[in-house]
Amino acid sequence: MSILILFDNKLGSCLIMSVLIFMKRSREENKSKTKPKGKRDLNKEKTKEKILAAALELFRRNGLDGTTTKQISKKAGIAEGTLFNYFKTKEDLALFFFQKETHDLVRWYGKETRLQRAPLPEKLFAIIHRQLEYIAPYEEFIGAVFFRSLQLHSKLSPLSLESQELRLKYLRFVREVLAQAEEKQEIPRIGELGAYAVGLFYIGIVMHWLHDTSRGKQKTLALLDRSLSLATGVLKKGAWDW
Amino acid sequence: MSSRHNSIGRATRLAQLGAGLAGSYLAYQLQRPFLNERQNSERRHALGRKNAKQIREDLQDLRGPIMKLGQALSMQTHLFDSDVVEELAGLQMQAPPMHGTLMRAQFKSAFGENPEEVFGSFEPEPFAAASLGQVHWAVTKRGEEVAVKIQYPAIREAIETDFRMLRAVGFAARMTGHLQESVVREAERGILEETDYLNESRNIQYFAKHLAPLAFVRVPKVHSELSCEQVLTMSRVRGLRMREFLKTNPSQEVRDKIGIGLTRLFFFQLFRLQALHADPHPGNYLFDHDGSIGLVDFGCVKYLKPEVVPCYAQFWSREWVHDTELYADIIRVVFGPNVSPAEPRVRRCMNEIRRFYDEFHPLTEPPTALELADPKFMERLNELAKTLLKNKFLSPEFLFLSRTESGMCNLLHALQARVPTTQIAREWMPPIPRIKK
Repeated sequence: MSILILFDNKLGSCLIMSVLIFMKRSREENKSKTKPKGKRDLNKEKTKEKILAAALELFRRNGLDGTTTKQISKKAGIAEGTLFNYFKTKEDLALFFFQKETHDLVRWYGKETRLQRAPLPEKLFAIIHRQLEYIAPYEEFIGAVFFRSLQLHSKLSPLSLESQELRLKYLRFVREVLAQAEEKQEIPRIGELGAYAVGLFYIGIVMHWLHDTSRGKQKTLALLDRSLSLATGVLKKGAWDW
Repeated sequence: MSSRHNSIGRATRLAQLGAGLAGSYLAYQLQRPFLNERQNSERRHALGRKNAKQIREDLQDLRGPIMKLGQALSMQTHLFDSDVVEELAGLQMQAPPMHGTLMRAQFKSAFGENPEEVFGSFEPEPFAAASLGQVHWAVTKRGEEVAVKIQYPAIREAIETDFRMLRAVGFAARMTGHLQESVVREAERGILEETDYLNESRNIQYFAKHLAPLAFVRVPKVHSELSCEQVLTMSRVRGLRMREFLKTNPSQEVRDKIGIGLTRLFFFQLFRLQALHADPHPGNYLFDHDGSIGLVDFGCVKYLKPEVVPCYAQFWSREWVHDTELYADIIRVVFGPNVSPAEPRVRRCMNEIRRFYDEFHPLTEPPTALELADPKFMERLNELAKTLLKNKFLSPEFLFLSRTESGMCNLLHALQARVPTTQIAREWMPPIPRIKK
């Protein structure tokens, strides 16, 4: 029961925070449109990426738990204190990794003009496949992150305040993709719920991908293709109306 | 967990297909007492067409062996109405293709690069999509025109799932002996073998080498450096598929020439190579007006056991009719040691086979040309097939041999060719040795 209350409280505060972050983010986006990034910001960004590259290599070799912040700072060629200025914990580093992934995904999709005209199952397949390709070199790290994200107190949990911005960015992106399909009458209007469903589906696919030992992760490709075709087929036939 | 999930998915689709059909048959049965004979027949035909369409669409989506089963059924013209056969024939080259992104992902999982990077040019739209994979035209960086066959992901697992399900569904048929486990195993082995493109490339090389004496047969050349288990790159083979070829109105002379070529090809494989290209659906043969035949898709090849060929030759020579020991040997080869040659059903089937051969391949000299356009031949062949099936005369060793033979007969029938089959069979038939024990 107490878990449920905790969950409820957490969910409630998450929703409020989501709205606040969303508003703040919109203001920041508007600001950033007018003000280009300075040299200092660019340097900061470069250092963050240097730290992430060093950390990912260590995570790949020693795993998330087997890597210390000391090792990361040494590998990145910075003082340990400087590392903490950028990332308080290894979980912050992991969040930065996913922020970059989502950013890369949105930018890539914007350039894929052929894909934007493709039917919905192919679009969703391409999006999820792109995400899987991005995380593919860091399988063990992703596995560790996945298990951490199941803990409610973790910053990586989908319910944590820290992960909300990232989550909203992804959901907003998926919502746009689905809205295009709704507009073209490929699927009936499913609203926000569609984006949440795709998000959950992606988590399921990553779980399958992590356990998939087939050559070239063939089974995941098949599962992804067949389940997306099936889901779109069900939506088209109107079985959604419940 | 995932394979189970997939199994459930496929099983549900099949169950839906079954339920859909049962539902509509039920509706038909319910209306039946209220319809007169003419209405009844019309309704039955409409139902057949509707169901055939539904079956084709669902089988296309499921791909894999279930679609293969549909392809095999489309060749069994004797079992279904023409409407149903026509719909099922649509399965032969038209599975829904993989979309471009999936095709590229599958190619990349095998070669680490997209096809556009590996080839000089690559046609993103598939030329044909079949049960296990799809074919794209491409040009290599050296400028050679090739066909690139790309397999659907995890199709092997899907096949294993389907066979598990077929075993469950066919439990009753297995209990009554109409469907033997050995026959199911042989079919599964054959289809699973088709999923290994490296094996197929070995088959192509074997046939290219050994079919060389038949100058009118064209076999593709494998590009080994561009092939792996899931991708097969071969040279393009020219020619038209049966349907398109017949649309060009070939003369009777050309039809006969091709018919003779097909028959020579069959008996050469059987009696000389003792190995068969055992996937005889029309899409795998490409015809030309000069009478040449292109043979593609060597996924399903049957290398026959040495004792099978003399046993089959006995159907032609019919020496067993007067030789009880030889007769017993044939039955042992066909069924194994557990079936007695004295069983009435066995004797009945053998007599039926003899009557068929007496009628169409008489032992008289000189043999006459067989009119394959004559519907009587196909009718008798279908009757024979039904009798054998009814009497459980099924043998795993003969499964692919009889599939190839009936496929050839269907091709010859579609061509309406006149072929001296008996003469050709005798030409290639080796002196018949005794069947080794």
